[in-house]
Amino acid sequence: MSVLSVRGLSLSYPAPRRFLRRAAALPALHDLSFDLQAGERVGLVGASGSGKSSLLRCLLATEAAQTGHILFKGREVAAGPVAALRWYRRAVQYVPQDPVASLEPRMTVAQLVAEPLLRLHVDCDPARRAEEALDSVGLDPRFLSRRPEELSGGQAQRVAIARAIATRPVLLLTDEPVSGLDMTIRAQVVQVLRNLSDAYGTGLLMVSHDISVVAGLCSRAMVMDGGRIVEDRPVRDLLRDPHHIHTRELLNAAPPMTAAA
Amino acid sequence: MIRTLDRLTPALSRGVTLCAVMVLVAMLPWISGRDPARSILRARMGEQDASPEALAALRDRLGLAEGPVAHMRGWFAGLAQGDWGTSWISGAPVLPGMVKALGVSLTLMSAAFAVALVTAVLLAGPTMRRGLRGRDTRSSGTVAASLTAMPEFMLSALFLVVFSVWLGWLPPYGWQGPAHVVLPALALGLPGGGLLGRLLTNAVAATFHERWIATWAVAGFSRRQIARAVLRRSLPALMPQMGMIVVGMTGGAIAVEQVFSIPGLGRAVLGAASAQDLPALQAGILILLLNALVIGVVANLIRVALLGRALHMGALPVARVVPLPPDPRLWLVPAAVVVILLVLLAAGLPRDPFTSQFLRLQPPGFDLPLGADGLGRDVLARIAHGALSTVGMAVLVTLISLFIGLGMGLMPRLAIGLIEVTKATPPTIAALIVVAAMGPSAPGALLAVTAVAWAPLAAHTAALVTEARAQPHVRIAPILGVGPLRLIPRSILPAIFGPVLRHAMLRLPGNALALAALGFLGLGARPPSPEWGLILADALPYVERAPLAVLTSVLALALISVLGVSLVSMTRR
Repeated sequence: MSVLSVRGLSLSYPAPRRFLRRAAALPALHDLSFDLQAGERVGLVGASGSGKSSLLRCLLATEAAQTGHILFKGREVAAGPVAALRWYRRAVQYVPQDPVASLEPRMTVAQLVAEPLLRLHVDCDPARRAEEALDSVGLDPRFLSRRPEELSGGQAQRVAIARAIATRPVLLLTDEPVSGLDMTIRAQVVQVLRNLSDAYGTGLLMVSHDISVVAGLCSRAMVMDGGRIVEDRPVRDLLRDPHHIHTRELLNAAPPMTAAA
Repeated sequence: MIRTLDRLTPALSRGVTLCAVMVLVAMLPWISGRDPARSILRARMGEQDASPEALAALRDRLGLAEGPVAHMRGWFAGLAQGDWGTSWISGAPVLPGMVKALGVSLTLMSAAFAVALVTAVLLAGPTMRRGLRGRDTRSSGTVAASLTAMPEFMLSALFLVVFSVWLGWLPPYGWQGPAHVVLPALALGLPGGGLLGRLLTNAVAATFHERWIATWAVAGFSRRQIARAVLRRSLPALMPQMGMIVVGMTGGAIAVEQVFSIPGLGRAVLGAASAQDLPALQAGILILLLNALVIGVVANLIRVALLGRALHMGALPVARVVPLPPDPRLWLVPAAVVVILLVLLAAGLPRDPFTSQFLRLQPPGFDLPLGADGLGRDVLARIAHGALSTVGMAVLVTLISLFIGLGMGLMPRLAIGLIEVTKATPPTIAALIVVAAMGPSAPGALLAVTAVAWAPLAAHTAALVTEARAQPHVRIAPILGVGPLRLIPRSILPAIFGPVLRHAMLRLPGNALALAALGFLGLGARPPSPEWGLILADALPYVERAPLAVLTSVLALALISVLGVSLVSMTRR
């Protein structure tokens, strides 16, 4: 069953204004359409400037596209005030790129993980749910009283993941969730994401410019270039037989060992 | 539609603020709550109780009978046709006199600007030389900072005592020849020159840390070529401040013209304020504000012209200036100032500042360490009590402006016009408006200084808010369900409060001096209250017989300046 459908999404940014002259708008997304199935793990790959981040912002409803629709279980998602989007935020959460910087430094881990539960009006005991979420990313309860500066990069990313899954979302959107981490930690965090997805049936849309991480975690990959989805196929097929020249370039850039995995 | 509105908000904010200021000036006669007709009759004939018929006749003739809105419309229509109103005192049109006075003021300000430029070049010269020789450049020293902190009215009094009274080199007052320009131009130009020199030194030092300098030197460019390029790179960043300095001069000129009896715009406006001649005052304030506006626009145009395409492309290199190691002795100066102030307070507070118990201008003695003033009052007692009231008022101003600044800075796009216009308004001009509306008083001075003191804090807050909002942990907030209102106590305020509070405290001495300046000009505290500006103003008429009295109050004010400078240089590193 399709959880999220995107239909005809287009977005362009106003060009920087010059004196008495207006340049054409800069297009970022061109008429995108795709569906995500429940529990599906999808990688979104592409070079810088290909439109991955713009698409992610639209899916997070922090940016409004000029044309097109985003439907979540048939309900229209539109950027708007916080109160009007709580239902969507409970179901679709986000793991950011820079784990340490994305955690408010003045709050404890317990407060950080419980914050979306309180603000999104999730019907539960926030303290208990926060502890559970922390446990499911492999951190024990003594971390609850720590602050972000006392966490390592890997621990901070686990906290960010715990915060995102605390509301028991249907879909997790992640932006380069492991790119800032070193190799061993990277594997652990990928493992955490895989376990969570398997255990709760949470879908995953992972933005990455590194196709090897996508290969290790996702079953399907979408390749973006110039604001368009140029290839959308199972990862296995994509690795064996890349159609688009841009996909081949991305594969060549990936370390060969992991690309084979 | 909403996007367009959003983009236009800053422009709208500027426009609305300008209109609001114009309306405020236009409505002054009505805000003041005094019956204009009664004021005029009193001013012209000294009649305390005018007959109702005379009042009604006058109201009719002045067009006051039709009420405030119609009067305002008439005033604006008159402005457009060059009829800026007639003086309530002389009955003559106000515009010709004001324009003539403006000419005098502009001459003075040009001379002062030349002084400021020369001062700035002299201050920045050593840094430029060090940089060209390839040695390490560092930012400006104490000389520039001290000049910056000296208020114009204090320098004027100091120069008057030293160069006119003691040395007799230059005339003490008047406006007849080039000799009359020297002292006022110095008093007006040196503080601005100090600030400009400091900014120029820092900008040049920063430019020498940019990488292209080394490339150019290796490529064999001459020192002269590099020097020119460094200047061209450093100047654009200074243009907004240059504009602010000149605008500040319009406020400082009022005090300087008052001290040296120069028939300029400032003195004319001040006279109109003390005589409550509102049409003249309105015209003067309007000219001062227009003056400030034109200067700001010109400074911005020069900046755009200097930067050219680089401004659009965002292609300016950013230098990284290595901070100096902290000097452990820096706390000595502010500590010494505080000790001196405490000694003054301890010695003077038990004494009586109000009773005329000594001979007029009695010289200092064992009983009377600082002598007596023109009314035979104890100067030490007056300075000590004045310290208490001036510093107390300054603390109040600082706290209130801190809260206003924080509030305004939290909605920068909406408040930008108000912030810009207020930043470009010297406290003296704000005080003129306040005095026109409610007469001179200590609370009025407090109101006037507060009304402008919040703007730099708001600008700082706005910059910090923009920075804080760009932090990843703030940008993720909407996704976690944290709304814009809850974000302020959660992330924004904790991030900005410390720096803005520190900034506000650094401005405390400046606010004290601004209050003193208003007292000095007769726009603030009234006699006989022992206020530092008033004490200096009281001493000035006796400058030839008792120059020491002037010097004592100048030194007291200088203490506050030194405190301000040393605090700033302590936190700068």
